[in-house]
Amino acid sequence: MKWLRTNKGTTLFWIVAAFLFLLPFVYESRNLMILLTQIFIFSVFAMSYDLLLGFTGIVSFGHAMFFGIGAYSIGIFMKRFEPTMLNFLLALLATLALTALVSFLVGLLTLRLKSHFYAMLTLSLSGLFLVAAEKWRSLTHGNDGFTFRVPEQFIDRTDYYLICLLIIAAVFMMLKRFTNSPLGRVLQAIRENEQRTESLGFHVLHYKIAASIVSGVLAGIAGILYAMSLRFVNTSVFSMDITLDALLMTIIGGVGTLYGAMIGAGLIEFAHDWLTGLAKEHWIFERWIIFFGIIYILVVMFFPKGIVGTLRTITWKRKKQQAVKKKEKLAG
Amino acid sequence: MDLFLNLALNGLATGMLIFLLAAGLTLIFGLMDVLNFAHGGLFAWGAYSGLWIYGKTGSFLIGIAGAILTGFLLGIITEKWIIKPVYGNHVQQILITLGLMLVLSEMLKVIWGPNQITATPPDYLKGSWELGGVIIIKYRVFIILAGLLIYTCVQFLLKKTKIGLVVRAGVMNKEMVQALGINIQKVFMFVFMIGAGMAALGGVLLGPYSGVIHAGMGMEFAILAFIVVVIGGMGNFSGSILAAILVGLSGSFMAYYVPDLSLAVNMLLMAVVLIIRPQGLFGAKG
Repeated sequence: MKWLRTNKGTTLFWIVAAFLFLLPFVYESRNLMILLTQIFIFSVFAMSYDLLLGFTGIVSFGHAMFFGIGAYSIGIFMKRFEPTMLNFLLALLATLALTALVSFLVGLLTLRLKSHFYAMLTLSLSGLFLVAAEKWRSLTHGNDGFTFRVPEQFIDRTDYYLICLLIIAAVFMMLKRFTNSPLGRVLQAIRENEQRTESLGFHVLHYKIAASIVSGVLAGIAGILYAMSLRFVNTSVFSMDITLDALLMTIIGGVGTLYGAMIGAGLIEFAHDWLTGLAKEHWIFERWIIFFGIIYILVVMFFPKGIVGTLRTITWKRKKQQAVKKKEKLAG
Repeated sequence: MDLFLNLALNGLATGMLIFLLAAGLTLIFGLMDVLNFAHGGLFAWGAYSGLWIYGKTGSFLIGIAGAILTGFLLGIITEKWIIKPVYGNHVQQILITLGLMLVLSEMLKVIWGPNQITATPPDYLKGSWELGGVIIIKYRVFIILAGLLIYTCVQFLLKKTKIGLVVRAGVMNKEMVQALGINIQKVFMFVFMIGAGMAALGGVLLGPYSGVIHAGMGMEFAILAFIVVVIGGMGNFSGSILAAILVGLSGSFMAYYVPDLSLAVNMLLMAVVLIIRPQGLFGAKG
């Protein structure tokens, strides 16, 4: 089991994952289960976003569009046809194909240009998807959305919770390997210095497109999970709010770390749950997003590495100081 | 003919509103290399504050002036406290302006409530003229004239004044301008202020035109403005008005004939421009 013992962070992840795996067997709480499922789903989404923003240095403002494609494909397949496992797999395939195609096209169009263009094109394209979902009423039922049934394997909440937990663990391991692979290294090189990477002989555009496709496909999977947990889908899955969620989670948690995305997802979802509960006390809590907006701006300004990155820097500095002291002792 | 003229006027009016938003974006981008994602927020703030003042004082012109003033103030605050600290880092800039957009639009909901607000034009701009069987709505003509006036003023400012010269030089090469002993920071602030003021003006003019304003409209128009900025060429002021009119016209004609495709056509236009001429249809600077 050598791959398990890579470093402290990974060990911690597996301990937390094991704890969360055992949780439903010892502590029965429907609300907590649903909240945690939500956190897992958004963690997958935020990690997919982190791959773009944190590892490749691409800013996307339309990540909701992949999320929405996933959510609508599963919804439409389950509504139109029988909710069986076979149809679920077909919906999954459709999502993979569609998200890969869209992210490939968007990447091809804009990734050779300045970083602004990708942000702008994704922003407007996700706006287009939102409008399309509202207008194509025969397929999407417009703004009201529609409910659907899910395959019987996914009906039980606890089972679904465990499935989501497994998926987040799988996605985490996959992204961990992906970002440490030669391909992932090149992506990080692009983030650090694009021109230099280009002059080293790497075809930057190809690598960027690859990152954009992987990220888009994972976001689509998160969308599938989200729609299946609600058993309902409407146009809000394409809305700017979903992209903003991913942004807040990744930035506040810490970019380029994967753990950060998960911590951010947990924080935001918990805070969301808690603050909407407080809305009865004072109306300002209904606008809870404003607090996160301000925190987000402060984080971007003063802690651009987010929670995880800042903690890492602190521990790294401390280690360095200790090393220096040791040396001094030896010398003195 | 009647229909054609009406659609054209409608498109021109929308185009002018988009132009007011896009002009600021493109100038700021050209000079400072900052793509201000919060521009839509300034637009919405202009609309809310302007119409609020209009409602309180009863004078539309004071409302417009108030909106522009709000835009100036917000522009200065944004430039000084939000953009300047992260100057030079593209990714951080993009992220921070989007955060500001979020805060701005949520603030609107906190202050004026989350519901839509209705707006009507003042009495002297209500109604329409009839010219040879063609009905022309006054307010649309007013918007078109206002847009053209602003375009001429800014063009005059850019081409005939000292500060305009500095701005144009800054767009071309800002290190050089700085090396020649000009405090480019002050110019940045000035341009940001003007851009924000134009966006706020666009917002307040939109209010009576569409009848209702809501906090989400900033984002809707910002998307159109981005399309315009790409089509017109980033940093190209004259390009932005042509592109805005193009987008406005295509939007209004498509909205009448094939309503479901109106946004799609503009997006398609942008995609084509991105493939063939990423530096924009008008002008050569990229």
